[in-house]
Amino acid sequence: MSKGVLVDLTKCVGCGSCTVACKLYNGNAWDETTPTLGDKAKLTGKNWTVVHHKEVKDSNGQPVWRFVKQQCLHCKEPACVSACFAKAFQKTEAGPVIYYPHLCVGCRYCMVACPFNVPKYEWEKAFPLVTKCMMCSDKVEKGEAPACVSVCPADVFKFGEREELLKEAKAIIAKDAKYVKHIYGEEEVGGTDWIYISDVPFDQLGFKTNVTKRSLPSYTASFMHATPFVGITWGVILTGLYHYTKRRNQVSKENNKNIKA
Amino acid sequence: MQNQADKEKERQVTRRGFLKMMGGIGLTGITATIAGCSTDPAGGKGWMPQQYQVASSFPVQVKGRIPIDPTNPSITRDDKKCVLCGQCVEVCQRVQTVYGYYELPIKDDITCVNCGQCTLWCPTAAITERDDIDKVVQALEDKSIHVVVQTAPATRVGLGEEFGMAPGSFVEGKQVAALKKLGFDAVFDTNFSADLTIFEEGTELIKRVTGALDEPLPQFTSCSPGWVKFCEYYYPDLLHHMSTCKSPQQMLGALVKTYYAKEKGISPDKIFSVSIMPCTAKKFEAARPEMNSAGKHAGKPELRDVDVVLTTRELARLIKSKGIDLTSLKDEKYDTLMGESTSAGLIFGATGGVMEAAIRSAYFLITKQEPPEALLNLTPIRGLQGCKEATVNIPGVGDVKVAVVHGLSNARPILEAVRKGDAPYHFIEFMCCPGGCISGGGQPRTSLPPSDEVRQARINSIYNADAHIYAKRKSHENKEVLALYEKFLESPNSHIAHELLHTHYEDRSKHLTVKKNA
Ligand code: SF4
Ligand code: SF4
Ligand code: SF4
Ligand code: SF4
Ligand code: SF4
Repeated sequence: MSKGVLVDLTKCVGCGSCTVACKLYNGNAWDETTPTLGDKAKLTGKNWTVVHHKEVKDSNGQPVWRFVKQQCLHCKEPACVSACFAKAFQKTEAGPVIYYPHLCVGCRYCMVACPFNVPKYEWEKAFPLVTKCMMCSDKVEKGEAPACVSVCPADVFKFGEREELLKEAKAIIAKDAKYVKHIYGEEEVGGTDWIYISDVPFDQLGFKTNVTKRSLPSYTASFMHATPFVGITWGVILTGLYHYTKRRNQVSKENNKNIKA
Repeated sequence: MQNQADKEKERQVTRRGFLKMMGGIGLTGITATIAGCSTDPAGGKGWMPQQYQVASSFPVQVKGRIPIDPTNPSITRDDKKCVLCGQCVEVCQRVQTVYGYYELPIKDDITCVNCGQCTLWCPTAAITERDDIDKVVQALEDKSIHVVVQTAPATRVGLGEEFGMAPGSFVEGKQVAALKKLGFDAVFDTNFSADLTIFEEGTELIKRVTGALDEPLPQFTSCSPGWVKFCEYYYPDLLHHMSTCKSPQQMLGALVKTYYAKEKGISPDKIFSVSIMPCTAKKFEAARPEMNSAGKHAGKPELRDVDVVLTTRELARLIKSKGIDLTSLKDEKYDTLMGESTSAGLIFGATGGVMEAAIRSAYFLITKQEPPEALLNLTPIRGLQGCKEATVNIPGVGDVKVAVVHGLSNARPILEAVRKGDAPYHFIEFMCCPGGCISGGGQPRTSLPPSDEVRQARINSIYNADAHIYAKRKSHENKEVLALYEKFLESPNSHIAHELLHTHYEDRSKHLTVKKNA
């Protein structure tokens, strides 16, 4: 059974507490150029989660503001994981899709594979890594809610067993007419551990609604896994290996970082 | 050659490693990073909350914070300083009853009355006033612009604290001296227009009581813009009770670009009007679209009555940035025309003060006799108790019942009573901030949460000046106000007085869903 988070977008007031909590917990620096909150918010190597501001119309045609928290959706069958031949991305039993920097070779296939454009590359660094929300896996392993989830003053989130949350979400949208009859993440790409409910159609809130309901690895497994060995030239492989070795050295220098073998 | 980003990373890693070592954890593996000596000079790179240095520690007491609209004209937040302590929610929800008093989903607004109390509670000063100092500096440097400034009653008992003086230090004369040194062309006193407010608002009250004005009782005071916006959001059905008088800031603003401009022979568009306020909501008030009466009067509606509002804290920063030491300045006097004030105007700065000032003059206006000594020290409505009442017998009218509330959580019960028709009052004074303007959201920060001791010290200073420093204690004795009526406004509530000194309100309830049983 995997853990999940139910996000009720109707309750978000756009305070950004969740984005601050993510920075505090993960020790991510503030991105001087890209905000975590508002119209210009964007996921970056430093911003693992952001809250977008959307001016939309509600069901009565009235102009309303909605805020949308974005982070990795922790797909049940993650494309990023299956794309990563180095096993730097892994799906844990508890739910989080996590990333081991020391295994990463920097090929960035995960970035291409993710249907939600979540993993980011630390372009500005000399030894860039790929980064994304880890669902605070240390906390989740202990049965605690992720940092962002635990600070929300408006009760936007519910943390628990994904299947329970799904039932709850279904009950909420069945009972309350204001919700659109769609749970985002229930079926998208085979299901995600973070699921969303809303009173404004998801496509108007910037959600990708044209994604397949089939899990992506089921398409990519055969082809992506084979890619590095079949489909690309030796030159690319050698460059990859070069980065791989360089990274290894760098990692061993920094082994005060919390890295698992 | 290492590049800059790499060095930065190394530096951060080293710091974190060191802190970990201090904590006695993660000792292994530090050598490698410390060995790579940073080539940066000593010293910090800016202020950072401690949490940032200690990865993986997540204090259990972290909480959410209030939402702030990035276009909020009064307050702003530096995310880097926020430590998620939740104090802003605490004050906004419990003291001001704003956050949490509307249903979700929100509509098209982040409900905020701009009071700035959160700036006083935020322990890291992540939330501050929106800084408008540059606009004032620019105007002061432009020799073609005539820059006029007014100072609210309460700033003179707060400003000194920013310069190390004891809470409540009375720095009226030093503040004027500092403003003159900064290069303002004229320094006026908002106390003057507070006295003027008493004429206008007192006349309105008498009209309501006698039935000459078909508006309900009790009349609500309207000088606190945070309170006004609160009423517009949560009690729009009671806006008919709100006095139509503008606040003293806006009255003086409207007069600067009409009366003063005319007397001085300066074109209103050459005047830049600044006000020094203990309040962040005044920034919002000055920006309200309808606050352009002087401009409309002059056929230039784009002119604002008040161009920029600086809080007491901003003024302190401006003074310091010019290397002026407030404490050593010799007292100076306000400029004439709109610089005279009575202590009735001064006590507007403390909870109960507007009411007391009104009663002093109402008594005179109705009976044509000076009020008895007891009315000059109306102690039942002074002090920090949340809701205060008094009954004043005015010969010819009978018992006038008044109430005074400060802090918006105290306003709700009395507003509910008015709604039900259960409030026996003629006149109610509302001030948005606990203690009144002396503890407004733009005043010097004190302890966390703000202490009643400091509030009381500032209040004492105001009433001390009322009793011992000011020569006159009744608004109707203000010679410059009388001259203003004679030369320009004709009489209280006259046509032109209405045009320049009165205003209207906006039902804001369409921007939120008010919680029913909050
Ligand atoms: S959202 Fe993208 S990064 Fe996150 S688990 Fe799914 S595929 Fe991977
Ligand atoms: S789950 Fe953790 S890592 Fe992911 S956005 Fe929330 S705080 Fe950040
Ligand atoms: S903490 Fe909650 S209310 Fe605030 S922005 Fe995040 S999800 Fe929205
Ligand atoms: S200014 Fe006042 S109303 Fe606005 S957020 Fe701060 S405390 Fe709340
Ligand atoms: S009071 Fe200040 S530091 Fe605390 S949560 Fe609010 S903004 Fe953040």
